[in-house]
Amino acid sequence: MQDLTFRVQRYLPGKDSKPYMQEFTVPMRQGLTVLDGLIYIKENLDNTLSFRSSCRMGICGSCGMLINNFPMLACHTPVEELNTDTITVKSLPNFPIIRDLVADLDPLFEKHRSIDPYIVMAETGDLNKLTAQFLQSGEELQSYLQFAYCVKCGLCMAACPTVSTDEFFLGPQPLCQGYRYCTDRRDTGAKQRFEKADSGHGVWLCHLAGACSEACPKGVDPALAIQLLKRAMVFDSLRLRKKPEPATPAQPIAESKPKIEVPEFTVKQ
Amino acid sequence: MRETKLKILQYITGIALFFFVGTHLIISHLGSEEVTEWTSVADRAANSGWLVFYIILLLFGLYHGIHGLRTIILEALPRLSVKSLDFTLVIIGLAIFGYALYIPVSAF
Repeated sequence: MQDLTFRVQRYLPGKDSKPYMQEFTVPMRQGLTVLDGLIYIKENLDNTLSFRSSCRMGICGSCGMLINNFPMLACHTPVEELNTDTITVKSLPNFPIIRDLVADLDPLFEKHRSIDPYIVMAETGDLNKLTAQFLQSGEELQSYLQFAYCVKCGLCMAACPTVSTDEFFLGPQPLCQGYRYCTDRRDTGAKQRFEKADSGHGVWLCHLAGACSEACPKGVDPALAIQLLKRAMVFDSLRLRKKPEPATPAQPIAESKPKIEVPEFTVKQ
Repeated sequence: MRETKLKILQYITGIALFFFVGTHLIISHLGSEEVTEWTSVADRAANSGWLVFYIILLLFGLYHGIHGLRTIILEALPRLSVKSLDFTLVIIGLAIFGYALYIPVSAF
């Protein structure tokens, strides 16, 4: 099999004035991923190469990189699918570079945190009495399930043209997660999230380029979530938004009957 | 939810402009020769209904345009203060409105 040329971005802040590209030759083998190639370089060619990775199976979202000018997870990208012998790997755009291919994802996490990405309980009422689990129908789960698959890899933020022009724009990941929690019946914090998304750099700055949805390695559609969030905010602003019914608490386990009777012990205790 | 309300107005004016600009184009540019004759123009200018029509067209067009400009400026210059930008655009908008209002009102 033919060797591959990896053109890898190198950058060490404090030493290099700007990022530059370095070429490495990596032997091709069947099933080789971009991450495998980078690991080969680090183990055999240049141990100073820095990149971030963990699970190697597209779950943790650590190895987001710009591969042949498209944001992708390096572990989830077989070289064969790129249909080229030359692979260009850069750190994720729209994020500061820590070193080489390691992007600083702090801006993403700060924006994500700012939208309250958790279930907000009402101060009063049953939702605050955490004595039982809340019942949720399959339909209710489906309303937000795809948005819950987000692994916070930052690829959508790297692909977003608005994030690239406006560093204060909340971006697809936080807005998508904001919507995910607004649709959850157990949550009562939609209003506070709407207020946060309603800034000059909030949800209305999205131009629906759709690059986020195209880049997401988990099949999440952040562009759809943003559109649904916009709709919910318009309806809420016009006082037309139906207040979702609060989740029904399940019967406490202690009070429910076991489905199968526990048989008597046959052996003396 | 200030931004949402501004955006709703943007949508409403956008839809309304289809009607207002469409009517304006048909009457003033695409209609028969009669509607563009001086007497027809003068008749419309003296009609209070048309005066209201053109004032609404001016208001909606100005709001839609200035809000669109605000969105572009905010994205291009993200560090700009939203309050000072809004103040500047409102002043510009009012100045244009006052100047443009002079034409239909003086012709009335």
